[in-house]
Amino acid sequence: MTETAADTTRMGGVVPTALEAAVTTTDHLRIGRAWLASGALLLVASLVAGLLVSVERMDLTGMAVFGDVDSLFRFWSAYRVGLVLLVVVPVFVGLATAVVPLQVGASSIVFPRAVALGFWVWALGAAFTVAGFVIDGGLGTPGAVSRTDAVALTLLGLLMVIGGICCATVCILTTIVAGRTAGMNLSRVPLFAWSVLVAGSIWLVTLPVLAANTVLIYVDLTGRSAVAFGVEDTIWGQLSWAFSHPQVYAFALPLVGIAGDIVPVAARRRHGNHRALLVLTALIGVLSFGAYAQAAFDIGTPIREQAIFVVEAFLIVPLVLLVLVGLVDVLRRGVGNRRTRMPAPLYLSVLSVLFLLNGTVLGALRAVAPLDLLDRSTTGAQFTFTIGAALLAAMAGTLWWGDLIVGRVVPQGFGLASALAVAVGIVLVAVPDTISGFMGLTDFTGGDLGGAGNPESGVDVLNTVALVGSAHLLVGALGWLVTGVLRLRGARSLADPWGGHTLEWSTSPVEVTSESPLLDATVEAGA
Amino acid sequence: MSSTTFSPAVPNRPRTLVIGSALATSGVLMFFGGLFALYFSRRADAMAWGTEWFPEGAIRLPPGGMNMATMALSAITMAWAVYSVINNDRIHSYLAMAITAVMGVAMLNQTVFYFNDIALPIDHSEATTFLFVIVGAHMAMVLVGVFWLGLLLLRALGGQDTSRNRDLVSAAALYWYAAVVVYMVIWLGIYIAK
Repeated sequence: MTETAADTTRMGGVVPTALEAAVTTTDHLRIGRAWLASGALLLVASLVAGLLVSVERMDLTGMAVFGDVDSLFRFWSAYRVGLVLLVVVPVFVGLATAVVPLQVGASSIVFPRAVALGFWVWALGAAFTVAGFVIDGGLGTPGAVSRTDAVALTLLGLLMVIGGICCATVCILTTIVAGRTAGMNLSRVPLFAWSVLVAGSIWLVTLPVLAANTVLIYVDLTGRSAVAFGVEDTIWGQLSWAFSHPQVYAFALPLVGIAGDIVPVAARRRHGNHRALLVLTALIGVLSFGAYAQAAFDIGTPIREQAIFVVEAFLIVPLVLLVLVGLVDVLRRGVGNRRTRMPAPLYLSVLSVLFLLNGTVLGALRAVAPLDLLDRSTTGAQFTFTIGAALLAAMAGTLWWGDLIVGRVVPQGFGLASALAVAVGIVLVAVPDTISGFMGLTDFTGGDLGGAGNPESGVDVLNTVALVGSAHLLVGALGWLVTGVLRLRGARSLADPWGGHTLEWSTSPVEVTSESPLLDATVEAGA
Repeated sequence: MSSTTFSPAVPNRPRTLVIGSALATSGVLMFFGGLFALYFSRRADAMAWGTEWFPEGAIRLPPGGMNMATMALSAITMAWAVYSVINNDRIHSYLAMAITAVMGVAMLNQTVFYFNDIALPIDHSEATTFLFVIVGAHMAMVLVGVFWLGLLLLRALGGQDTSRNRDLVSAAALYWYAAVVVYMVIWLGIYIAK
């Protein structure tokens, strides 16, 4: 077994080429960067799909962009799947891969090859998924007119995406559970590491359920004739639980940890009650378990009308509110300590918790049966607020830890402007969708041509605002991408630019290598 | 590694392989949990409507029972392997791992034979789709376990599976016990309850 400092000569003094180094690296910072870069690129792709859907919503009777309702549905579902499984979760996994091992004083991630494997499986799966959506596949359509082989390709891609995320998550969680430095018990881990532990645990028990749904659909679809699960117009209904309340909260949960780590350092004040924040994060995580909320379990009273769904929807609101109050309290107490301007990630991380609160409030409103919002565009608004909050937090996280991950600085102002464009976009998309939902607009507007975008419907002004919001989101995402490129060209960063007190600012990364890892007991015992 | 570079000490991490394996196995169990939840809810729905679930005589108890017995015995031999490695008993650990792997292969063989024998098409009904997906996924799980045992045997032959480095054996055992538990649910839920 050998251990060398990251990014140095490996394997007997032979310097690997850039491509070899990228593919075979076990450096957790480099793998983290790969997750982040891929997530940022796919964010742009997902938002382009979202923008096209918004344009189409302006006049559904004309269908000028897609030509038919089924194509519109394909891109509408691609937008949701893409934002969750190809953007938000991978970006959080990337941040966690890079930052969490250092936060817990582990020097390197446990099972670095498995993390790399997870990334490449996810990347290939993401390519399959995108290709499936583009070549008339996707996750079924209302009119059942997709190409079966393309739908199968999308499902296969989805399975690989889930597999890659789960593989990386296992490594991150093992690092937190077993790789912590001496003396750091679980109640002392930084909030980001804790939130990743909670969120990752929920991902590990829910994403395999999504995989089970997907396998059933895949097998039925590719059999001689679909009998139940693979029938095309039912596919989205079987998988949609993963992209709505309460499961979306699990995907966004690391934002609590990002805000929880940024605020006290920026405000120069410790949390009033660190353990209370740990407990709140864990409770939000437990309440975000959404694998039970499947339409397939609707025998008798539909799941979404049962007490557990409603109680869960309402319980999560005060918990997020308490998190926000805790953060604001730290800010209030620390405002006198700060002699310089507050850093950009501080504003973004607090704003992300506020957006998450909006998402949970909408989730609670959706659970009120007399309002009849479950299948309205309020669902989309809740998705936008929640996943948008996660996106904003991810941007804050990359601005905060970017110096550490890349080793170079970037102008904070440009990053802040990009993130604010995204924040404005979130509001401009989610608020009109909320109002439209109360006016009776369905979640997938293609199913309600009369109420979606014609001049008599009363929602075309709101659709116009949402279109502007979608454009804002795309501009912000492009800005984030440019920020990343600028960082690659920036000056070398300081070891601890924010004066942080958590371990990641003082721990040096180590790359673990072995020529025969599967047969080398020493590596597995030690690494 | 360069002779002039001083590397940090190897981190002392407690049982990472066992913890990683436990986490991964929990994900696998949730995969089957999702399938079983769907299976039992759809089956209950079909029963409530008086619809036929499996065709009469399609699911026979003896093959399922034989497989269950094989898996139960393999859990014992797997425990034997862990015990042998803890006690540095190389001969017994070779034997125990090899027998466990052979039992896994036997279980796969019996399942393939049985499914060929009943000749039930996958698209016969919702129930048969479930049957093929659940049993097929379990076969894949056992196959992974057999490969893992093969790797353990190679390591044992190289002198790597010792009481000081027993975590990979313990991790494999955890996974194998999960495979046995999953088959127990298949046996009770599909072969016995039909």
